[in-house]
Amino acid sequence: MSAEAIADEEEALGKAYDTRLMSWLWQFVKPYWAMIVFSILVVFPIFLLELAPAWIVKHGLDAIVATRDAAEAGAPSADIIDQVVDAGFIASLLEAPEGMATWVWLALVYAFVSVAGAALQFANMVIMAMTGQYAMRDLRVRIFAHLEDLHLGYFDRIPVGRLVTRVTNDVENVAEMFSAGIVALVTDIAKMVGFGAMLFIVDAELALATFSVVPLFMVAAWFFRLKIREAFREVRVKIAHINAVIQETITGIKVVQLFTREKRNYDDFDAVNAEHRDAWKKSIHYDSLLFSAVEAAEGLTVAIIVWQGTGMAAAGTLYVFVAWMRRFFLPLRDLSAKYSVMQSSMASTERLAELMNTEPEVKDPAAKVWQDAQTRELESQRGSVVFENVWFAYQGEEWILKDVSFRVEPRGKVAFVGATGAGKTTIIKLLTRLYDVTRGRILVDGIDVREMPQQVLRRRVATVLQDVVLFSGSVADNIDLGRLDVGLPEVEAAAEAVEASSFIERLPRGYQTEVRERGSNFSTGERQLLSFSRALAHGSDILVLDEATSSVDSETERLIQRGIHTLMQDRTSIAIAHRLSTIRDVDTIHVLRAGELVESGTHEELLALGGAYADLHRLQNEGQEAPPVSAPLAAPANA
Amino acid sequence: MSAAVVHVEGDGSVKHALRRLSVYVLRNLRYYAIWAVTTLGYVAAFVAFPMLTGDAIQAAVDGAPREELTVVCVWLFVVVCLRFLFRYYSRTMVFDAAREVEYEMRNDLFAHLQRLPQSFYFNWRTGDLMSRCVNDLNSLRMLLGPGLLSVMQTPVLFISVFAAMAAINLKLALMVMIPFPLFILIARLFGTQMHSRSLAVQVGLGDLSNQAQEAIAGIPVVKAYAMEEEQQTRFLESAEELLHRQLRFVRINAGMPMIVGMLPAAAMCILLVVGGGYYDAGLIDVGDFITFSVFIFQLIFPTFIMGWVFALVQRGAAAMQRIDEVLSVEPSIADAEGAQDVDALRGEIEFRGLSFRYGRDAGAEALDEIDLRVPAGTSIGIVGPMGSGKSTLASLIPRLYEVPRGQLFLDGVDVNEIPLQVLRQSIAMVPQDSFLFSMSLADNIAYGLTETREADVREAAERAQLDKDVDDLPNGYATMVGERGVMLSGGQRQRTALARALALDPRILILDDTLSAVDAETETAIQAQLERVFEGLTVVVVASRVSTVTDCDQIVVLDRGRIVEQGTHEELMALGGLYVLLNEQQREEARARAVGDDAGAGVPA
Repeated sequence: MSAEAIADEEEALGKAYDTRLMSWLWQFVKPYWAMIVFSILVVFPIFLLELAPAWIVKHGLDAIVATRDAAEAGAPSADIIDQVVDAGFIASLLEAPEGMATWVWLALVYAFVSVAGAALQFANMVIMAMTGQYAMRDLRVRIFAHLEDLHLGYFDRIPVGRLVTRVTNDVENVAEMFSAGIVALVTDIAKMVGFGAMLFIVDAELALATFSVVPLFMVAAWFFRLKIREAFREVRVKIAHINAVIQETITGIKVVQLFTREKRNYDDFDAVNAEHRDAWKKSIHYDSLLFSAVEAAEGLTVAIIVWQGTGMAAAGTLYVFVAWMRRFFLPLRDLSAKYSVMQSSMASTERLAELMNTEPEVKDPAAKVWQDAQTRELESQRGSVVFENVWFAYQGEEWILKDVSFRVEPRGKVAFVGATGAGKTTIIKLLTRLYDVTRGRILVDGIDVREMPQQVLRRRVATVLQDVVLFSGSVADNIDLGRLDVGLPEVEAAAEAVEASSFIERLPRGYQTEVRERGSNFSTGERQLLSFSRALAHGSDILVLDEATSSVDSETERLIQRGIHTLMQDRTSIAIAHRLSTIRDVDTIHVLRAGELVESGTHEELLALGGAYADLHRLQNEGQEAPPVSAPLAAPANA
Repeated sequence: MSAAVVHVEGDGSVKHALRRLSVYVLRNLRYYAIWAVTTLGYVAAFVAFPMLTGDAIQAAVDGAPREELTVVCVWLFVVVCLRFLFRYYSRTMVFDAAREVEYEMRNDLFAHLQRLPQSFYFNWRTGDLMSRCVNDLNSLRMLLGPGLLSVMQTPVLFISVFAAMAAINLKLALMVMIPFPLFILIARLFGTQMHSRSLAVQVGLGDLSNQAQEAIAGIPVVKAYAMEEEQQTRFLESAEELLHRQLRFVRINAGMPMIVGMLPAAAMCILLVVGGGYYDAGLIDVGDFITFSVFIFQLIFPTFIMGWVFALVQRGAAAMQRIDEVLSVEPSIADAEGAQDVDALRGEIEFRGLSFRYGRDAGAEALDEIDLRVPAGTSIGIVGPMGSGKSTLASLIPRLYEVPRGQLFLDGVDVNEIPLQVLRQSIAMVPQDSFLFSMSLADNIAYGLTETREADVREAAERAQLDKDVDDLPNGYATMVGERGVMLSGGQRQRTALARALALDPRILILDDTLSAVDAETETAIQAQLERVFEGLTVVVVASRVSTVTDCDQIVVLDRGRIVEQGTHEELMALGGLYVLLNEQQREEARARAVGDDAGAGVPA
């Protein structure tokens, strides 16, 4: 997939508003409805407080002109508008109290209005952001919980990075809708309409003349914004490409240098880099046009107001026009930027809704089913594992397992051997119900695994996987895995038993040593021993072990062999074995071939049988000079 | 031995960084020259506008003749148009210049990264380098774009506005301007807070993202150990923490503009009180009053922007420092001054008492007093336990690490005196991790060639036993591979890397444990094929399996950086030392695995 394709996929923009998605999102916002109501209601006082400053100055100017006119011509300034808008109450507010100069009073009112306006605006912004953030925390936690509940198959199909993006970037995008999207968009438009309407009320004729230039600028602004958006899209695609190239070059620097590819790489890089720069320049061009145009529109309206206004309006009215027109233009500059925010929020919402609508394929049984099943449980069966005619396919008729049946008695031990892709790993996955069988059934403790809650089943079974996954946190955290019923003594005992304690105690802070970046501070062998301790601390009497094949030095190898032996003691054990020591430890070896169980017996029995097992053994030992390879098992999806 | 990381701290490093930055800025001086001129034009128009507005209103109030007013309005129109042009050009110029600098610096960074030696990449994490190439370059661009625009323009703007107002009435101008310098105080108070709080949000988001990454990547374990609830609790904690940080940031982010917005409001109050009084006293006229108020209006936006720019400049300077740190690392592997005029190599390798350690502070010597001669056209196998220095020894031949002078010779010439180009084109190495690039399979195979020719690619693929696999791929040689392409199996990747090396047609071929992920059958097949390929080549085979090197002309056994045994397979077997021990250990393990797992082919790694 090319960088472009990746960028396209995550950036496909569609509608800026979708009722269905909005109503889905509403469930997360609903608990905070009061805050939303507040931020809608508070727009009205804010609007009034934004209108006020200019009006105060107008009042002062009118007073100046009136006294002057009175002095010069003796004619009172008959202002109709004053009678309509500046009616009684407001006018009386602006009248200075006895003994105070008009100017001082006006300044005080002006200061009060400014502070009050700023305070309300501040409160509004904070509350809006809070609503968004609270709702998004809820959304985030719900999505994460949902992800954890999904069946494992889902994770085979979708890369980890993309799922992480869901809980991070996508949620951030949706939050943007609250701080800079829908509410801001609506209030901005409302305010623009409000300022326009007020101007018409103040002086319709003058307003008409002034607004004559507005449509032209609106169209221009919209056009520029579209162009900017286009250029930006290109910029994003190019930068994604650039960053991918840098990342790849750093990762593969050894090959780059060994093959003296520097010059060619540089030329290729230079080409994309230049394209990126040019795309930016295009966006700068339109952005500057937009920016300058809005400024020019403001200036132009002032010129029109002044020119038109002669004789019709006094200085005060002209002032109000100039001031309010500025306010009118303010949102225009980024109206379409907010539209873009809406678009990307909607796209994110859609992705999130889709994720939340994905049903887990493996589901817990109804509580009643589990209760009934428990009553049927027999003590003698506890710790037994039975596969009854199990068939499994990820899809259709592509059988991974065909009619597999076997039985492990309590404390019995079996091992599975077979080629890669024979279905060994699948047996483990079905047993721990990471997938459900297609046909047949699996019994643990004599109960069908589908009749047990997944948590109960998985706490019954300790699993040691091939790839050791370490989490951030301390070594102890990585052994107890957050289980409250496993304390430090148990952790230490477990580590002791599998001989992990010696290296753990050598660590700077022992069991409290932090695990770095997915365990990079531990060797392969140490990680394995940690995972053994983990399984032992788990305390279950059924063990499932998928032996890792990675090569380690012989001393570590001996440690691991002893660890495995300890793990399997006194437990029902099911192992996918690669080690001779493990194979000798078990009661029965099952040989899998292409999803079918072809032979079962002990090592000696199977060798004597002279069948598939003996073939495998002979082929590898005598057939060729070169000993076989330690190949890692297939990735989970293919096994 | 590591590349010198310049640890420059304090003011010195800032100066160093800014000196480097100035080189780039000066290179784009033409943009800045036009910008300076247009900015002056813009400021002139900026100042003229309120004065004309005042004049026009004054004329209207005075009841001046219509013509006079029209003239003023036409001037106003002209000023608006000029302001538009100047504004457009000054913005475009400074932003374009920032883009040019960004472009040049990104190119330089890239070229620099390609020149830095392997040892550099030991000390620096990919994520850190990426962040410097991406985020820091971004911050730098913001510093050069909006940052520089405001920092240079705003003072000129304020001074010009003050001068214009002073021309009308000095005292009033002084009074009105009083609140604005307070801005510096506010910026100091809030700027750092804003920066640290936004940083806290970024860190919080990073933590949350890491946790999600960990939980999702580790989902098999999470499910196997029924850890879902525990993970959810931890995630909730991180989400709460992030929420808390975000709200802290929102408060300051919303608060700052509000408080900055108070400055023009205060100026307006002063104008009302003082200006009103002056009017009453007959010191100024209505038009002057309007001019003053429009000036204040116009200063709102630049004041606002300054609040934002303050943080930008801080961040940009820090970013430049971080970029400078990378650019200041001297590439320690480069052609020597007195490089010898070597055209091609025959392929003789000789180590003369070579000792090597990774970095000065590395504890033990990775290689200790190695004496070894490999005649041209012969093969040598290097075996030994893990960590014995096998790969290091091989990596020194193409000078992937800094080789001490006078200790490694190719064709009798000190490796440090052979031009890198010649050296690396004569030597093909197949590294341990067969890294493939996100390009077609054919391009990957022809990676070291000047162009991708189908015949070359096919031949190389055939020699590396890759051709049959290619037939099964969806698009044959055109199939995209690498991180974002089709997943090849470990064996396929290794054979592709082998083909890539063979395509070079080298004199010396180094296989650094190359065939470890190939199944035994394929390995035998490749080795049979390789014997033909090897003819006439000097071949260095590093192997963890003894069986891989049995046919080599000579074999050395390394242990803790020293050569402990040396000879042919038969000689070493007869010796009964470490070689025999290794051989037996591996056969034992192999037998165990034989029954567990019979093949490695077709396994996605």
